[in-house]
Amino acid sequence: MKTKSNLYRKEKYFGYLFILPPVVGFLLFTLYPALYSVYGSFTDWNGLGQMNFIGLDNFKDILTDDFFYKSMFNTLFLMIGIPIGLVISLLLALGLNRKIPGTTTFRVIYYVPVISSLAAISILWQWAYNGDYGLVNQFLDLFGIKGPNWLANTATVKPALIIMTIWKGLGYSMLLYLAALQSVSRSYYEAAELDGASGFKMFRHITWPMVKPVTFFLVVTNIIGGSQIFTEINIMTPTGGPEFSSATIVFYIWQKAFDNLQMGYASAMAVILGLFIFIITLVQFKMNERSSFDVD
Amino acid sequence: MLRQKSWLIVLASVLMLSLVLAGCGGSKKNSDPNQLTFMFRGGPDEQKAYNAVVEEFKKDNPGVTVKVIQTTGDQYATKLQAAITGNSIPDVFFYNPADLKAYVNSNILLDISKYIENNKEVDLKNMWADGVNFYRYDGKEVGKGALYGLPKDLGPFSLGYNKTMFEKAGIPLPDKNKPYTWDEFIKVNQELTKDTDGDGKLDQFGTGLNVQWALQAFVWSNGADWIDSTHTKVTIDEPKFIEALQFFADMQNKYKITPAIEQAQTLDTYQRWMRGELAFFPVGPWDLSTYDRELKFDYDLIPYPAGSTGKTATWIGSLGIGVSSKTANPELAAKLVTYLSASKEGQEALVKSGVQIPNLQDMAKTWAADTSTKPANKEEFIKIVTEYGRPLPGQYTYNAEWYDLFFTDVQPVIDGKMSAADYVKQEQPKMQKLLDRAVEQDEKSKK
Repeated sequence: MKTKSNLYRKEKYFGYLFILPPVVGFLLFTLYPALYSVYGSFTDWNGLGQMNFIGLDNFKDILTDDFFYKSMFNTLFLMIGIPIGLVISLLLALGLNRKIPGTTTFRVIYYVPVISSLAAISILWQWAYNGDYGLVNQFLDLFGIKGPNWLANTATVKPALIIMTIWKGLGYSMLLYLAALQSVSRSYYEAAELDGASGFKMFRHITWPMVKPVTFFLVVTNIIGGSQIFTEINIMTPTGGPEFSSATIVFYIWQKAFDNLQMGYASAMAVILGLFIFIITLVQFKMNERSSFDVD
Repeated sequence: MLRQKSWLIVLASVLMLSLVLAGCGGSKKNSDPNQLTFMFRGGPDEQKAYNAVVEEFKKDNPGVTVKVIQTTGDQYATKLQAAITGNSIPDVFFYNPADLKAYVNSNILLDISKYIENNKEVDLKNMWADGVNFYRYDGKEVGKGALYGLPKDLGPFSLGYNKTMFEKAGIPLPDKNKPYTWDEFIKVNQELTKDTDGDGKLDQFGTGLNVQWALQAFVWSNGADWIDSTHTKVTIDEPKFIEALQFFADMQNKYKITPAIEQAQTLDTYQRWMRGELAFFPVGPWDLSTYDRELKFDYDLIPYPAGSTGKTATWIGSLGIGVSSKTANPELAAKLVTYLSASKEGQEALVKSGVQIPNLQDMAKTWAADTSTKPANKEEFIKIVTEYGRPLPGQYTYNAEWYDLFFTDVQPVIDGKMSAADYVKQEQPKMQKLLDRAVEQDEKSKK
């Protein structure tokens, strides 16, 4: 340490100063509330005043709470959209990576939903799914199909939401895939071509492994995001859908906390959700480690 | 040297952190005796009307500034709760009377009795007794004791009918003084449910009621209820209740007087009513300005059809305006509450915008007597308020979770996939469990 120059030492302090705001932000707006809700999960806190320690009672109640399981199931069900969305966006990226006219226009079109306000999009789709006047059913009508009232039907409400979330996420995944595709060196393909590899083989053995880090990143972030899906649900099906069939876990937590004065119980569910996400992500990282390799 | 510096940095960080923390959680008590914050919710028409009235209040009270925080209806609860948890409760705010107990027990609402009673401009006797009583609480029961706010308005949920449709069909108009029996109601509806343009598809229906808001009228008029008089027992498994629920479902499945199941979402029946396709549809005071603008037919109000008791019934909603217990200016805050709720000037402006009925009895009588504006029978709103309206069952209890559950699960009955009898048998224990928990929480919060 003593041999380090004065300048180095000074720089070090400035470094700390620069990282201070995000650290303070994290402590204040993430860690503190998180720890507080862990504490809250052991109490009967109503969100207003009263806060009595009740041990594990909340967690015991959750075990027998049908709606907890139902909303958890719904949340997982909605994640069906993740692989579908990834496949479509990779295909789109492959398409837009070619030198065809109008690619910039298409990239913009696919990216617009990503930058639009989620609330506005939800209202838009709510209308599109309207049974009588909705765009979706009007379109189906052209083919003589009588569409259902999408959001009011237990059988169609989840697929309807899945279609919407895929549409919404497409642009973002596509953009990341596009960047990954463009960073793949041409020389791999040239070498493969010389060896007489087919297009599919090139995709399987060059493109797919090369974009794998992006796939991994997208899967992880999509699952985290998917576990927390709320805004769309709250706007499109404000009561949690027919027979609670579109209520997600965060929707249920929110309902308990803000409608029913059970902040403690809601905190307990939030803690469980947090652990759930943490474990899933950990497992994914382990799996990725096992199957990853270096190209160099 | 080095040690000292790093200590300094730690110290600085701690200082900064505590400063920021203080900014967040600390008491945001403003010491300015002329400043108020007012948080409320409403649709665009309501927001405009309330902003205008607040401006008037400022004019009448020179030097006073009112900071207005407004949200849409669905965001309000979350925002208010966040303000409460964050210890920065607005001085004056709207709140749901169902939350009265919890708010008072947690010391969030201020007892404003003395400010109201000492204010000579307020004549409590001229206000609807039921409306004011929604905001009284003596520590045990809602409805008596100290005042923790005044009603923003009362929302009597009445039934409207399409007069033009009746006249076209040559059917005698419903009697506004004598409710239909259920049988009569079905008969009239069946006569009006038909295919008017001859394309083989029904395009005119009797009605299309939303179970969550209209079932009460049928249950209550049949002599049943969701909860017993002690507010501790769920009573949906009583025969009279089952009968009413089954009748409600039968309107769609047996008598076929409503649009088909797939089209029965509120949004759609609301729009069908607006387009003149439905004979009967609920009407609340908040609908009047829209109906005035949009409806191309004549409509009027009647009592809901009556079940075995022979007496019509429906609910009254309300929203309260309360004062924060932490306010620095209780007197001024209470003054704003009375201005919004009980003053002639305030009420005149709000009623004129067509979003509510007057809170003042004398004003309401003049308003209802004016049959030149639609609906002609505005008197029905007044009758609901003074004679037969009741609060929604969830309002009596610490939270309304048990009551909401009924409607979350009820769809299979409405769709005809399950009988009312089977449903209440399966649902009563679940609801009872939630009610027990609410009662328990209520007890705890009193300590």
